Amino acid sequence: MIMEFIGELLKLTVLLGLTVAGILAILIWKKNLATRVTYLRFLIQVAALVSVFYLFTYSIWQFIVLIFILLLPLVMGRFFCGWLCPFGLYMDAITLIRKGFKVRYRLLPDNLNKFLHKFRYVLLLFFLVVPFILNVIDPPPAESLTLMAMVLAGPFDAWRILLGPVIPLIVPWKGPLEISSVYFSYPYVQEVIYYSKLLSIEVFTTVMAWVFVALTVVGSFFLRRVWCRFCPTGSSIAVINRFRGFKWAPLLHIYKDEIKCTKCGICKRVCPVQVTDVYEQAGGKITTSMCMLCTRCVEMCPYEDCLKVNFGGKTVFKSRNWLEPAKVE
Amino acid sequence: MKKPSEEKKYMLEMSTKEVEELMAAIRATSKKMTAEYIERMRKADKNRPKAMQYFDEIADFEKREKELLAAKQSGKKVVGYMCLFAPIELILAADAIPVRVNSGWYDASKLGDRVVPVEVCPMVRSTIGAKMIGLSPYLELSDALISGLTCDGMTKLSEILSDYKPIWAMAVPRLKDSAQSLDFWREEMKTLMKQIEALTGNKITRGKLKSAIELTQRATKAFRRLQDLRKGNPVIMGRDAMLVNQTYMWDDIKRWTEKTEALCDELEERARQRNWACPPDTPRVMVTGTPMIWPDNWKVPSIIEEANPQGVLVADELCSSERLLYDPVGVDEWTMDDMLNAIGERYLMASTCPCFTSDDGNKDRINWILNKVKEWKVNGVIYYVVRGCMLYAMEYMRVKKVLDHMSIPVYYLDTEYTREDVGPLKTRVEAFLEMLTARVDI
Repeated sequence: MIMEFIGELLKLTVLLGLTVAGILAILIWKKNLATRVTYLRFLIQVAALVSVFYLFTYSIWQFIVLIFILLLPLVMGRFFCGWLCPFGLYMDAITLIRKGFKVRYRLLPDNLNKFLHKFRYVLLLFFLVVPFILNVIDPPPAESLTLMAMVLAGPFDAWRILLGPVIPLIVPWKGPLEISSVYFSYPYVQEVIYYSKLLSIEVFTTVMAWVFVALTVVGSFFLRRVWCRFCPTGSSIAVINRFRGFKWAPLLHIYKDEIKCTKCGICKRVCPVQVTDVYEQAGGKITTSMCMLCTRCVEMCPYEDCLKVNFGGKTVFKSRNWLEPAKVE
Repeated sequence: MKKPSEEKKYMLEMSTKEVEELMAAIRATSKKMTAEYIERMRKADKNRPKAMQYFDEIADFEKREKELLAAKQSGKKVVGYMCLFAPIELILAADAIPVRVNSGWYDASKLGDRVVPVEVCPMVRSTIGAKMIGLSPYLELSDALISGLTCDGMTKLSEILSDYKPIWAMAVPRLKDSAQSLDFWREEMKTLMKQIEALTGNKITRGKLKSAIELTQRATKAFRRLQDLRKGNPVIMGRDAMLVNQTYMWDDIKRWTEKTEALCDELEERARQRNWACPPDTPRVMVTGTPMIWPDNWKVPSIIEEANPQGVLVADELCSSERLLYDPVGVDEWTMDDMLNAIGERYLMASTCPCFTSDDGNKDRINWILNKVKEWKVNGVIYYVVRGCMLYAMEYMRVKKVLDHMSIPVYYLDTEYTREDVGPLKTRVEAFLEMLTARVDI
């Protein structure tokens, strides 16, 4: 009992330590802007991955993480996608490997990219509705519905798919693959298995899981951040800031200064999800919900103050003349 | 590669001896003019930076001519280019030497008059004239010419020069914001790459291209540092800075970068000592429009900075000066494809050449000017156009409307490749500067 308690305490300490380390990293980076923001992003992604692992050791946290992910866009846009999402980290890692092989990425046609982006909302709506359909088909005891929703059990198990991209590679529960009592998983693999069973095609479940893994790995090898282009979890509330009265949402956004822009096209080329709005928009707040705020464009823009990342009216990061000699190196 | 024709269609009807005499005479004048301009620049700023010494030397064509000759003897190739659209990273990656061959000789433009009408842009006429008598050392030494088909003058110039040299024409799309333009431009780049490889016999590899890009990035770094120093009180006369930018067109890029960095160090020290090149309340002027090419076509900057009241050039939007290097090649991934894309986009998309057309009225160029006006605290803009430069002339009204809106005075200064109008020009510029001085005083 005491050992368990100490164990819990240790976990929480590690988590706290990671948070502090993350904040410190941001502070250090702010002091010395010469460090590329991409490195900081990697650091935070890794920290987020570890944190997610710990959070997932409690089933109740899964629900809270889900609510967090779905409500975060209200203030932060798709910050989660760019900076915290573990699947994003895997895809970035695969991109790094590809860079190592000196293979060039491929591009999706702009129209397809935009269609996929709209399609994500259909997917999101569908998966949000699934539990209620299941509920009608096979009604569980009514009094336990809330509890089931809270631990994502029963029909609400279907909601787990929205947590799909957040699954760490090593999971604290009985995952689909066991090697010497360590359980391995991969984003969406559990869902692939779950839905295969639901649709009673159990025979091929393992094959389908492996095919899915292979597809995403190969896909993200050639297309940067391929899943992020239609991932239903990454739906941004930024859509609503097109409407009157919601201009403030999200608080975190990219801002473009029109007269500093020479339309050199770097922002368009470096964007991992092929957002064209930063390039095309004349100036002002970039309101597209395709942008996942990875700030690669801001980092690569060579014109001082042309692109800015604003949070609630305050500039946290801006483009700078990256040719300048770094002050500390 | 097409061999240049034996029969030179655009040729002076003179004997070889006469041509040689003419050439010697013009060269002598040119040498005199170069020395005179440099002397005047020395006089304009009593504490002229010592690092300018190097740029004065390299501005004299003979020094670089000798170097290029020596390089050619050691087997290197020289590739000339006429417009900023030539991707010099590709030339550098193939171990060749890029030089810009546009001509600024007034006397040569008179020779050009004999074969093309006077309505043609004098820079084009001057380049033709220089070629006909073999005046420009860089044009003579280049093994091939890259010609960006931008304005009408440049398009036909490349045709005329094809009698003399192998020409690699790059068709520049007139719309730069569309995907198909970019695709087309990429293909042009790839074709050019093959041509350069065929000429030099060197394969452009990933590593070589990367180091070429890094070389020009370093040059851009030095260049931007120099321009940023001009934001504050004047530490360098505008002509000096323009000469530094100008020498980039033919100098060895690595050496140029080092020397410019040294100049910037000196200027920073100068700013610390509050030792200004001219009184800080001197009206700050920006020039935009047709390129100004050393040595002869230096009269407008000279007039501005030697006028009474004096003005100081703090910024410009000339493809012979600040536009040369303002935009870096921004590479995302160091793969061959992405590097080529990055180079292509840098030359096509970041360009503010008026040869492009768009439904927003070349907004990129106007934004560039506005940015310069705001950041460099410009008091007045001189819109410099030579006769025959249709594209710049036609954009004037649009630029003027925007600047009027910000109550920044603009002055349309039209001239020719001639020394005869210096007097009237001076009067016009002085009137404009007088007005600016009054505004600065308020």
